[in-house]
Amino acid sequence: MSTAETAVAVAHPRRAVIDRAWRAIGPGVEVLSGDDGGPLRRTVKRIIDPLVLRLRSNTQFSAPFVAADVAEAMYDTIVGQAAQMRAAAAWFELLKRERRRLRITSGNAQELYFPVCFELAVTKGAPAQPDSGEAESVLREIHDDRDRTAIEVLNTYSSDHLVITELGDQLRSSWKDVRAGNEITGPFLSGLTTVLGHADSHSAVAARQRVWQALIADVTPYNLGAAAHESAARLPWSIVTLGLSSAEPQGPPAVIGGSDSERPLNRSVIDRVRATLRRAMDREELPDVPMLCEEEVDRCCAPWGLMAEDKQATLVAGIEVAVDLAPLSETATTRYDLARQIQARLRKEAYVLHARRYLADDGPIHPRQQQVIDDLAAFARPYLSRLWARLHGRDVWQEPCSDVDDVRALLEGVARSVSLDHRQRIKTMLELQVAG
Amino acid sequence: MSDSGLWSTGPTVAPSPLHAVLEVSGAVLSWTVDDPSADPQITFTDPASADWLWRVLGEDGHRAVASTVDQAPPDEATAVDLTGVDVLPGTLDPLRRLAFGHWLRRWWPASQRDGIATLDAALLDAEIAILTAAADDFFSDDTFDSDVAEVLRPHVAALNAHVQEGDPRVVELVEKCTELADDVGIVFDTPAWSSRRDDYALAAGGDTGRTTSTTIASGVGSVRWSAVPAGVFDAAENTVNWSVESADDAATATVRVELSGLGSPNGVSVRLRSGSLGGDGALGADGRAAFPVVDSDQQAVSESAAWGHDWRATELTIGADGGETAQTRERIRTFARSRLAAPANDAYLAEILAAESDY
Repeated sequence: MSTAETAVAVAHPRRAVIDRAWRAIGPGVEVLSGDDGGPLRRTVKRIIDPLVLRLRSNTQFSAPFVAADVAEAMYDTIVGQAAQMRAAAAWFELLKRERRRLRITSGNAQELYFPVCFELAVTKGAPAQPDSGEAESVLREIHDDRDRTAIEVLNTYSSDHLVITELGDQLRSSWKDVRAGNEITGPFLSGLTTVLGHADSHSAVAARQRVWQALIADVTPYNLGAAAHESAARLPWSIVTLGLSSAEPQGPPAVIGGSDSERPLNRSVIDRVRATLRRAMDREELPDVPMLCEEEVDRCCAPWGLMAEDKQATLVAGIEVAVDLAPLSETATTRYDLARQIQARLRKEAYVLHARRYLADDGPIHPRQQQVIDDLAAFARPYLSRLWARLHGRDVWQEPCSDVDDVRALLEGVARSVSLDHRQRIKTMLELQVAG
Repeated sequence: MSDSGLWSTGPTVAPSPLHAVLEVSGAVLSWTVDDPSADPQITFTDPASADWLWRVLGEDGHRAVASTVDQAPPDEATAVDLTGVDVLPGTLDPLRRLAFGHWLRRWWPASQRDGIATLDAALLDAEIAILTAAADDFFSDDTFDSDVAEVLRPHVAALNAHVQEGDPRVVELVEKCTELADDVGIVFDTPAWSSRRDDYALAAGGDTGRTTSTTIASGVGSVRWSAVPAGVFDAAENTVNWSVESADDAATATVRVELSGLGSPNGVSVRLRSGSLGGDGALGADGRAAFPVVDSDQQAVSESAAWGHDWRATELTIGADGGETAQTRERIRTFARSRLAAPANDAYLAEILAAESDY
């Protein structure tokens, strides 16, 4: 038996390891536990994974199965924070009581308070008895509109005509600087077959990562995105059909104005910055607004409205996957293994709707659902809008897309969340009808 | 077993609407509703996200399944035998009950004509919300119907109204929900209003006597449940009455469908096909529709042509095309009657109350 197989033989499901460690903490953490004594899903998602195991830096803790020594390290890490967990539980109980007293009902209490409670536990220990009003101020801070201040700064800044004129000048010159080269696109697109393909051995997984490394250094995504500025004929797809732009070729966006429903590449600079600020809720290090705006002007001129090559390459990979997806079609064919997996999943999810009497055989069960069904038929459009928004966020925060597994997970995750959205809408349309 | 590109385990379940489904993190579970002893079929949509599997199969079982489904499933159906991997007794019971609750919500064959009492939607969803919160570990933020707030939100007023009625079982259920609502961010103290609808009892008459008409042909048909929204139509057979009448020398089809529940049939399509003749319409809020009968060229059919037509093979479709067979519907009614006759241990409060009202 090879060493790899030995490791597999003793590997433990990571959630089972977490569960065991949690139970070893003993009493005092009931509010963070389910009825069966295991940790709540949000305890894992909001406290244990990010703050105790710190998956970002301890990637060995994030595999679905972990070897015995890793399992032991996880166990020790969790049990080692037992006191902080008990203190976090006490904080949560206190915050919940205060929430009720202050009649706060917005947001999911676990989702919002769990990380704060753990932070308080680490910095302050258990809550003071009697409470000195600290809980109330913590709640006020959480429920204050945290993004409001930055957005107000943006609004004031962008109401200055001079600022808008300057940004406009910058935009015109940056736009001119982006030119497509004449390199051939074939090698990039064939490399995608590996990246989006199946890998069933360690060497294949490693090869896939190497190919992706090469692809994010390839000029093709840049050239395709730049070509979209110049002539629709130079792209293998139509950016209008993909829902990325409302016109072909893609024109420069406005500095300000327009609406949120604008296609991604048509959104104005200020709207893009506003979206950044809205998504920046949890972040402390927010660059100042004028700098964000200047940067965004250059970004919106960059191919695909994304600065970094790895984001541009991810978007092109996403386009190639998206055009094959059709949740309501039994006959759709897919060119990549990853697209095939996602399509199979989407089919199963559509089937759940059918089994729940929200859809007839792949069609509306009430005429009112027709619009959503039509949207679902053009799945690439909402898929790419959402993928673009995620990539835009990563581009702003300079979070890499260099790990192929991470990129594949992103492409899958976007499909899942678009599918959930659509299914929710299909259900809502039906409920509207029933109520009406 | 590999099924259209996804791995699945367990027995093949009966076709919809005979199965209760539940979407959990990374998998879809389905059970045949009237076979309580059978294992579910588990179809993996994303094996890596099914991090709860060790609870159900044990750690060894989880490992065995994970290493199999890690391979891409082949396109053609293949079976892989996982000897020694079994569902740990009882571990799936809460999920089955939850899937069944969702099934009750959608497929319970309520019918005045058949005497199958309606289940209270608010109480059902209240219990579903509590079970969903308790099974929290099996869901993710991307799983369908697992958002407790969304399940509860539409029923706040109805649940408060129920408390006024004072049944201690209801009061206990609503209290649990109030606590849950607090945590998930919905307000539970809106004033009560009556959730009962009495105005939809089939009002005969009202639209008679516009023109004098002669009936050329008439018949009955049945609604196929999978083709129409839940909570609108009486679930009995032969609830569709149709007739072809002549008025002003043109043939007109009139259709009336028996209603049940709070939903409105407004806009649900109706199709009549009889050889080369046919017609299309949509139901109004009263469950009726009237539309012209046309020939294959979409031309109006005259009274004399209508008299000359053989109407025996007329087919009437309510809602979408397709749907289950009459036998399937009968099997579900039999199952529903047995649930009402002797509420099972895992019965929902809404079922128990329906059984009690059934004297």
